[in-house]
Amino acid sequence: MSVFSNWTIGRRLLAGFGLSALTLVVVAVVSYRNAGLLIENDSLVDHSHEVRLALENLLSEVTDSETGSRGYVITGDDSYLEPHTSALGAISNTLADLRKLTAEDPEQQRRIAAMSTEVDAKLADDKQHIDLRRSEGFDAAAKAVATNVGKANMDKLRAIVAGADQQERNLLRQRTEEAQASASMTQLIILLGGLLGTGAVCLIGWLITRSLANQIGSAVGQVRSSSTELQSAANQQASGAKEQATAMAEISTTISELLASSRQIAESAQRVAHSAEETANAARTGHGTVDMTNDSISGIRRQVDQIVSHMLELGKKSQEIGAVLDIVSELAEQTNILAINATIEAAGAGEAGKRFAVVAEEIRNLADRVGGSTKEVRGLIEDVRGAVNTTVMATETGSKAVDAGSRQFGDLASAFKAIANLVTTTTEAAREIELSTKQQSTAVEQVNVAVANVTQASVETETSAGQTLQTVSQMVSLSKDLLRIIQPHMAA
Amino acid sequence: MTGAPASLADRVSELRSAFDRAFAAPLRTETTTKIDLVAIRVGSESCAIRLAEIRSLFADSAITRIPGGNTALLGIANSRGELVPAYRLRTLLGLSGTGDSRWLVIAAAAPVAFACEAFEGHLRASAESILPRQSSGRMHEFATEFVRSGDVVRPIIALSSVIAALGTMPDAAASMVTQE
Repeated sequence: MSVFSNWTIGRRLLAGFGLSALTLVVVAVVSYRNAGLLIENDSLVDHSHEVRLALENLLSEVTDSETGSRGYVITGDDSYLEPHTSALGAISNTLADLRKLTAEDPEQQRRIAAMSTEVDAKLADDKQHIDLRRSEGFDAAAKAVATNVGKANMDKLRAIVAGADQQERNLLRQRTEEAQASASMTQLIILLGGLLGTGAVCLIGWLITRSLANQIGSAVGQVRSSSTELQSAANQQASGAKEQATAMAEISTTISELLASSRQIAESAQRVAHSAEETANAARTGHGTVDMTNDSISGIRRQVDQIVSHMLELGKKSQEIGAVLDIVSELAEQTNILAINATIEAAGAGEAGKRFAVVAEEIRNLADRVGGSTKEVRGLIEDVRGAVNTTVMATETGSKAVDAGSRQFGDLASAFKAIANLVTTTTEAAREIELSTKQQSTAVEQVNVAVANVTQASVETETSAGQTLQTVSQMVSLSKDLLRIIQPHMAA
Repeated sequence: MTGAPASLADRVSELRSAFDRAFAAPLRTETTTKIDLVAIRVGSESCAIRLAEIRSLFADSAITRIPGGNTALLGIANSRGELVPAYRLRTLLGLSGTGDSRWLVIAAAAPVAFACEAFEGHLRASAESILPRQSSGRMHEFATEFVRSGDVVRPIIALSSVIAALGTMPDAAASMVTQE
């Protein structure tokens, strides 16, 4: 049973139905063989009946020949010869049939040969009688008949025919017994084969049913639990496929935007490369301009030095003017003091000093005005000196700025060279970026196509998942039904 | 820069014409009574002194310092061959201020010099424009009147009262002044 339990269902069914088929084949073969024997035996029986019929016909034809001969002998009427005439042809045919029917039986051939001799003798006797009646009349003929030669021939013929018939009857009896034995054997085989086949089918059916019920029930149970799990998985797969389809749609949109961005980047990189080339040209031009500007700055530096020198000289002159102005101011002050003192003296002189007082006042007024103008001039000179100092300081600052500018322009020239080199590098980088971005755009397009395909696949997966879910649900229901059919107690 | 020379030229032209007018105009006679004042600056205060109280005015005269405990006494100055004591006027008046007192005012009433910080001009005011001054403190002892010149109000320092106050000071120079 352990070997049987390891067999597959197909092997079990093949073994069961094969055993049943083998039983049926054995029964069929045996029945076919016995049926063939029966048919052959029946054919032989028919053959024996044909032989016996031919023997009877031979005796009857010989009797007809004798009857016609004797009627003609008695009546002399030729019309009585018709049975005799008819029997002559039939007898030869009958003998030929007998020889043919008993061709395989030497004993019967020998009897037929004896029959033929006796028949020929009888026919010769009848012919003699007819000839005698026709030639010598009734009496001669009656006399010849009365010799009993013909009777003796007929008796011998009947004896030979009886022997042949007896042999045929023996054969019939023997074949009947063989047919009955064969039929009995056939019935027995059919019965036993039927019983054996039925038992085998029942046994195999029971075994297959029991094992299949157990195994299929277990398998169906597993299928049901697996279907349930698969149903859950299909649900998750359906929801996952839906989310995936949504995500892929979003990804497709994002990639489309990314593609647009890549194209914009490519265009921007192209513009950057173009701008970088223009910048490189401008940098080279700027480098020449910087050299020219550096020369100009050197000229400005010399001019500024001259301005500083002139302004310092101007400041010195202003100081000298201030010194002169101090003298003028002091003179004006002294003049004013003299005028004041003159006024005092004039007042002390009384009436005689009044005219002098007037003159002294005029002098004092003039000194006041000169003093005021001197103050104004001093203020102006101070302004000039302040302006000169401011200008000198500004010029010196400017000179320093020019120096710094000159150095910075040197640095600027170096920077321009570096910028030109960097711009060349930038141009190459921008071109590489442009090329890379174009390649990236192409790749992104391919990715977009792939994502579109994946999106379509996701949608199809979603549809498939739905169909799978439906199929799994049907499978669960089907497994329940199947389990209910196979193991009703477990189906509940 | 173009305006300044023109302005200076105008000023010079104005000065020249004023100088010429002074000699071309006829002698005028005073019809109204005017009081002559000398405008000075004492410390940071603008003041005035009647011209009648002044004998002379000098600037940057040499002052020989002499030992003594009077903080107002700067030393001895030479006024036309006469030695006079020189006092710092702002110290005497109790005014605050800094700077060099390079101007010497010689009083007419006594041979005393008062040093002030600046000589600001000659004023000629009518008697009506001199008004009594209402104030308190030490300054009021020496300036009981004031005169207005333009926007500036100047107390009129009475040198006689200052000289009188010097007589009460226990100082050698002051005693020298009082003896004379």
